[in-house]
Amino acid sequence: MNTSDINTDKISIPQIGDQLRPLIIKPTHAQLFMFSAVTWNRHPIHYSQSAAVAEGHPDVLVQRGLIGNFFARMLKESFPITSKIKYLNWKVINSAIPGDELNCHGTILRVVTTKTGWLLDCEVTINKQDGQSVATGQAKVESLR
Amino acid sequence: MEDTAISLAKNLIGKTSIRHHQVTRRDIRRFAQAIGDQNPLYYDEEFAKTTCHKGIIAPPLFCQTFIFKDVPPDQLPDDLSPAETNIALNGMKTVGGSSDFNLHQCVRPNDEIRVTTRVHDIFSKQGKSALLYFVQVETCFHNQDELLVARELATYIKRTDAQ
Repeated sequence: MNTSDINTDKISIPQIGDQLRPLIIKPTHAQLFMFSAVTWNRHPIHYSQSAAVAEGHPDVLVQRGLIGNFFARMLKESFPITSKIKYLNWKVINSAIPGDELNCHGTILRVVTTKTGWLLDCEVTINKQDGQSVATGQAKVESLR
Repeated sequence: MEDTAISLAKNLIGKTSIRHHQVTRRDIRRFAQAIGDQNPLYYDEEFAKTTCHKGIIAPPLFCQTFIFKDVPPDQLPDDLSPAETNIALNGMKTVGGSSDFNLHQCVRPNDEIRVTTRVHDIFSKQGKSALLYFVQVETCFHNQDELLVARELATYIKRTDAQ
């Protein structure tokens, strides 16, 4: 992303039913390793293919925490820089592995007018390329001015 | 009826630990790289100064970088999953789960973060083929001004080898 991309194509006046800016992510083995490293998560199912296979998985698994960051990134990229994520929850439904194409989507469910602008509720989902659900969640985003 | 292991484990509910970390620009840059986010707000001071944030801030879920205790490997569970789940339960493998984050303050370079971890709840549910164990851990992050930066309630699921 270039600095010129900031604040373009954002939802500045949100309406119920608006779709968030979709995000497609293909996690890699290197990304999973980096995320394990920066969070000091030493659970080998995230960086050792043999350990993951021994536990019955096809490959190393995308961390729950990293999935949350995909949601957070989609939210940040959908709204102006003068907005803030106040709340985010998510639940992992099915595992994702490197090479999966993760499609992040979201919909605005509720908009409340506030002194600083608006506060909104969203539902967010991540599906794989075959449509299988990876994670679902809810978020609250507010404008700061 | 609960098994003995979970009855004993419930004694750990409320157990708290506290640790401190100082945030560096490198921490923020590495976290942003790890999550694949190239937003210059996280690494370009000149750009960040021109925004409403007046300087570099960390990505929203940056506090994840402080969630897991940096204990030696021999203090981790047998499967090397986070120490927070090192609770004697019949479920031996840690999988999936959920996170619930409340975000209050932005994190900035040089912030001093106090991390308070507490076992919130431990319970079991019958899964498709075996009993599943749920460990809920609450982690609160306060900054040097004693402001609550973020709170996470994480739910870890432990299952048996049989599944």
